[in-house]
Amino acid sequence: MNKKILDVGGEGHLSDLMIGQKAVVLALHNDNKALRRRLLDMGITKGVIVQVKKKAPMGDPVDIFLRGYELCIRETETKNIDIRVVG
Amino acid sequence: MKIALVGNQNSGKTTLFNLLTGSNQKIGNWPGVTIERKIGIIRNTKYELVDLPGIYSLSPYTVEEEISRKYVFEEKPDLIINIIDSTAIERSLYLTTQLLELDTRVIIALNMADIVEKKGIFIDVNKLSRLLNTTVIKISALKNTGIEHLISHIRRNEILDNVHNRIYAALIEDAIEAVKITMNHSRFVAIKMLEEDVMFTKYQNVTVKAKIKEIQERYDSDVEEVIANQRYNYIEELKENVVITKTVKKSTTDKLDKIFLNKWLAIPIFAIIMTTIYMLAVGVVGNFTVDFVDTNIGLFGQWLGVRLEAINTSTWLISLIVDGIVAGVGAVLNFIPQLMILFLLIAVLEVTGYMARIAFFLDKIFRKIGLSGKSLIPFIVGSGCSVPGIMACRTIEDEEERKMTIFLTPFIPCSAKLPIIIVFSSFFFEKNQGFIAASLYFLAIIVIVISALILKKILFKGKTSAYISELPEYKLPSAKYIFRDVFDKTWSFMKRAGSIILLCSIIVWFMLSFSWTLEYGVDVEQSILAGIGNALAWIFYPIIGEYSWAATVSAIQGLVAKEQVISSMAIIAGFGEDVTTGTLIFGSSIFAFFTPLSAYTFMMFNLFSAPCFGAIGAMRRELGSTKQMLKAIGFQTGLALIFSAFVFGVGTLIGVIA
Repeated sequence: MNKKILDVGGEGHLSDLMIGQKAVVLALHNDNKALRRRLLDMGITKGVIVQVKKKAPMGDPVDIFLRGYELCIRETETKNIDIRVVG
Repeated sequence: MKIALVGNQNSGKTTLFNLLTGSNQKIGNWPGVTIERKIGIIRNTKYELVDLPGIYSLSPYTVEEEISRKYVFEEKPDLIINIIDSTAIERSLYLTTQLLELDTRVIIALNMADIVEKKGIFIDVNKLSRLLNTTVIKISALKNTGIEHLISHIRRNEILDNVHNRIYAALIEDAIEAVKITMNHSRFVAIKMLEEDVMFTKYQNVTVKAKIKEIQERYDSDVEEVIANQRYNYIEELKENVVITKTVKKSTTDKLDKIFLNKWLAIPIFAIIMTTIYMLAVGVVGNFTVDFVDTNIGLFGQWLGVRLEAINTSTWLISLIVDGIVAGVGAVLNFIPQLMILFLLIAVLEVTGYMARIAFFLDKIFRKIGLSGKSLIPFIVGSGCSVPGIMACRTIEDEEERKMTIFLTPFIPCSAKLPIIIVFSSFFFEKNQGFIAASLYFLAIIVIVISALILKKILFKGKTSAYISELPEYKLPSAKYIFRDVFDKTWSFMKRAGSIILLCSIIVWFMLSFSWTLEYGVDVEQSILAGIGNALAWIFYPIIGEYSWAATVSAIQGLVAKEQVISSMAIIAGFGEDVTTGTLIFGSSIFAFFTPLSAYTFMMFNLFSAPCFGAIGAMRRELGSTKQMLKAIGFQTGLALIFSAFVFGVGTLIGVIA
């Protein structure tokens, strides 16, 4: 399965990013209210800059850098985060 | 005065707690080491300090986070020490802004001040204190700097009063004020009501509902998100004012992760590390110490026997001391060197930060069998002792994954099972001892995988869950902490030998020396213990191919403590005739029937059946009901019986054909 590669300015989901790419968070969807709250608490809010730093050997979960620390989340979550690539 | 230590996970709360109170509570380098509250007294004061599990927000997400919020909110400490990881100041301040909404006074301990400056990040403490209206003290819990300063501020009561800053947009601030006035509540509760936090929704009134609607319409999203956004906006502004970043160089952590999280190398490296740990603990020093201690305890027993006889001690008392106590307690003290090596290696694994990586890269595989990557932490902790392992399950977010991990953790051979492995493998598999020991650990993994698949089908219906965790930086372990940790664990093993194992040894000796008619000195086959064993020996026949009362009663004693199996075997062996010399247990006629195959399957049963009472109690507490606990031990014992009988059957068949 070929994933589309996003260029700077391109919009998509956090799960589309490759290692090293930076993006700004546009929206956070999640049906699970408690989980959504947790992601907000961890700093995934509108306008925050995130960068994919590491991926687990099987591509999931991913380790993203934001607000000065590294957060690991699964693809099921990153798929629900809308972003625009900034670098 | 009651003081609570509150902060994010892995921010160094327990390190600070140990420093302030002089205790040695467990620390580690992964998020969520502390899973219950610990109470201590700050040295040279009368202040009570409470160490709480780490939290990111006052909206808890997991079991152990709920403990922290409850404490802060319901038990109302007089002061909160909010410990902040300076390297992640932005995220840490998110919790701070919430704590400052409470009516409790807060003092901020800016931890890891030393590390952050090395990274080229400088924090203006005075300015931060001014902007937050809170006392801020720079400390390093690891290097023990700034701690006196922190204590003296608390003692002299030099702590700024908690002034509630207005940090949100006017519309929100007005809503908070309105709710505060109509309901006569604190700012914190007012905000929680607006956020529709489940703990407070039942108290909502018309004003709250109207204000929620107003905010939702203005921002076109729910209040929770609006408040989280604005909180972070406020923090970003704050950060711009107080933090100066000079250089950011590529960290050692990233370089190390290039290897440890490498696509192809991660799992092989992990396998090598784990194999090495068990090879070292069981293999290398194994043979040497077992032979050495075994011989010397034998000699000590003989020597003591002669001495006691010389002072006219009665025969039965000599027998109790030599054949009961020395043989039983001595048998488990044998294993202290190996246990120390195991404790040391696990401690190193825990504090370096590698554990969080294992959880990270195994998550996807674990999810396939219904577990979380975080299940690995209880497994590794459980290789020391199942009790803390079972408790470590609290950090797993999903209820079902958590319960499943509790069911499975006792399958990991704990340190008390090490004596069983060593005794059997050193005698029957002398040349491949390390390999056989390692094979049992891999077998444990297979048992876990199979069990997980079964449990997923019958007990827990799989559903999607979340995995949210931090990846901490690698740290060099502190030699002082590790030394104390190894010492504490070894000491508690020795204490167990001196109490419960001693007591059991006396009971076993009594039941071996007396018949049902309480006649002393009967033939061992007529003893009480043999009677009990004979009645139950059929259970173990499919596993060892022999109706052995001695093996039966020893295995059952594993419920008291797993090392008691060996202790019991050592005492019983002493009552039999020596058929070969040199080895205490297998040289005895009573245990001479063991073959390599039955030795292996007997080990399997002892490793995988119900754990000791201590671990069963922990399972009951963490699962929340006796019924669930019974299910768990029934499952474990059933699986152990079937699996070891199966291996014995297949092995026998191969033996017959070959």
